[in-house]
Amino acid sequence: MARIFNSMRDGIGFDLILVGAAMVFLLALAGLPLVYNILMSFQQVDMFTLGELFRPLAGFTNYVAVVNAPEFWLVTRNTLIFVFASMAGQFVLGFSLALFFAQKFPGAATIRGLFLVSWVMPGLVVGAIWSWILAGDFGVLNTILKAMGIIEAPIFWKSDPNFSIWAVVIANIWLGLAFNMLLLSVGLAAIPRDLYEAAELDGANAFQRFWTITLPMMRSTIGAVLSLGLIGTLQQFDLFPALTEGGPANTSNVAGYWAWQMSFKLYDFAKGATISVMMFVLVLIASVVYVRSTRHEVRG
Amino acid sequence: MQFTKLGLLAGLALGALVAASPAMAQTVVKVWSIDGIDRPGIADTFSKEFNEQNTDIQIEYRAIPFDDLVNETLRAFATGNAPDIVSFDNPDFALFSSRGAMLDITDRVKASDVISKAQYFEGPLNSVSWDGKLFGVPKYTDTIGVFYNKDMFAKAGITEPPQTWAQFAEYAEKLTDSANNVYGATFSAKAGEEGTFQFLPIIQASGGSYNNVNTEGAAEVLDLWKKMIDNGWASKDVLTLGQWDSTGTFNSGNAAMAVSGPWEIDRMVEDAKFDWGVTLLPTITEGGERSSALGGFDWGIMSSTKHPDEAFKVLEYYVSQDDRLFPEFGNLPARGDIELPATGIEKKDAALKVFQEQLQYAQPRGPHPEWQKISKAIYDAMQAALTGQMSAKDALDQAQATIKGIVG
Repeated sequence: MARIFNSMRDGIGFDLILVGAAMVFLLALAGLPLVYNILMSFQQVDMFTLGELFRPLAGFTNYVAVVNAPEFWLVTRNTLIFVFASMAGQFVLGFSLALFFAQKFPGAATIRGLFLVSWVMPGLVVGAIWSWILAGDFGVLNTILKAMGIIEAPIFWKSDPNFSIWAVVIANIWLGLAFNMLLLSVGLAAIPRDLYEAAELDGANAFQRFWTITLPMMRSTIGAVLSLGLIGTLQQFDLFPALTEGGPANTSNVAGYWAWQMSFKLYDFAKGATISVMMFVLVLIASVVYVRSTRHEVRG
Repeated sequence: MQFTKLGLLAGLALGALVAASPAMAQTVVKVWSIDGIDRPGIADTFSKEFNEQNTDIQIEYRAIPFDDLVNETLRAFATGNAPDIVSFDNPDFALFSSRGAMLDITDRVKASDVISKAQYFEGPLNSVSWDGKLFGVPKYTDTIGVFYNKDMFAKAGITEPPQTWAQFAEYAEKLTDSANNVYGATFSAKAGEEGTFQFLPIIQASGGSYNNVNTEGAAEVLDLWKKMIDNGWASKDVLTLGQWDSTGTFNSGNAAMAVSGPWEIDRMVEDAKFDWGVTLLPTITEGGERSSALGGFDWGIMSSTKHPDEAFKVLEYYVSQDDRLFPEFGNLPARGDIELPATGIEKKDAALKVFQEQLQYAQPRGPHPEWQKISKAIYDAMQAALTGQMSAKDALDQAQATIKGIVG
């Protein structure tokens, strides 16, 4: 008895308790909802069975119905555009800004801090602001572009099927920019200065220093930023109701918003669950790729 | 420490419960609706007044935002915490009534001195009926027509408001003045219930209905709408603007005609600095079939209630106050036996006359338990055609196939 108690205080028992607490927390708050969601995607759900766990099974009919929906491929295309364009924009601009602020000039740290304003703001507020900027007839952006002579007629960012998904992408890039910049700045600051000094002595120019020192040293930071970017972008919801509501004609609808529409606009909870399970599989594949590509790296 | 805090909280909660429950043996009737969130509305005002009468029934009123109402009620019903009385937007009503979630009040209404079936307009009454039985009563109603800027009409030399959709498009072209940022017309072709609300009347006027949408007339008007957008006689933003924002551009003088409903009148009286009027929704051919959208909310008692008699008494009280709907809240009663008092504002009174006439042609959306999916098929088709992804005919054919799958 005493031995068990002892091991609980200091030993393998204590470790087990720590692991157990973490596992219980994970299972209760992430595992169970996930399993419930998967279960729901294989069931028939209506208002009378909404509160139950065991409902009539539907097999794969929900999945077949989702894939056969006329908007399925459009939504898939939009989701890919949204995810990759947002991530690319956030990363490239974020990296440029991080490099820019890494140059020591007066007020660099303060101004960099101010950039966080965009990240602190709630998505709905950002959506409302961009909704005014991107408005068709009286939008700020159109007025500026017109004054500069770049466009003749206003571009209907939110209502033109060729631009609607890009309207959300632009707003999302702005929203995630500061977060990318901050993480990459931290990575940049962690690279030892003497590496650059040594390279400079050896005659490496700025591009060579960036390509052979900065990028390799930043590999794990970049991996983390990209995977967080993927997750954040797939989770993005607020911008859609605030900007385009997925329209016109689903040309700016993405999987996450579509799943919400299914569940809470059309009250088809099973199909909503089905779409989110499909999204989950996508994220899972991406995470596996990420983990595999970085696990042989020496973290620095 | 933690436990003392918890105990204290529990004690407080219990105390609050005791304080809230009245001393006498009173029946509490729970009522949910969207009224009373940003300004006093019908349900919250009437409930308060009912409680002040101090009968042995007390109303426990809860205001729920429009977007959450159906979801919240679905969840509450599934977990056995549903309210006794609830007020739904009319196309949502069938979702509940068709599956036995609403109480059949056919016989109670027959026996009632206050509520009679005959007093209601046909459209609103259809929205609370299912399978020949009555599951609720209409709360108020509204519909849509065409607002037009009389000053702009005079300047363009047009004397009469448009009678057909072809005329509507023709006038829109004449009235467009892009140098001054004036579009000929505005409407709401949004991907949502508002889009269906404005387009379904055209399907109905062409001889179709919600389960027969691919009519020639509907495709014809859809092509006219597309022509107006493509030629810049209507803003491309009609694809994303709701009715309230769309009509806002009319009020500011940036559109010469606007399709919308009586809820706009008060704001228009305030904002519009020009002479305006209202006309009936155009027909497809000259002198052709008329139709219009039916908006507004319904009352119903949920079948899970433990106090059906008391709940019905509350319902009767609400209905007995119907003559106050218009003067106090600006909503049109869903019945023909209430004379709307003149307000003294000339344009408003004239507009109301037109909307009352329009109401006779108003047809409900559905009723169908899966209305939201049918509605999506309709507005998806409308948007696919208007953005040029499909021809109007193909888009409506696809919607028809989807709807057939739903209706069976």
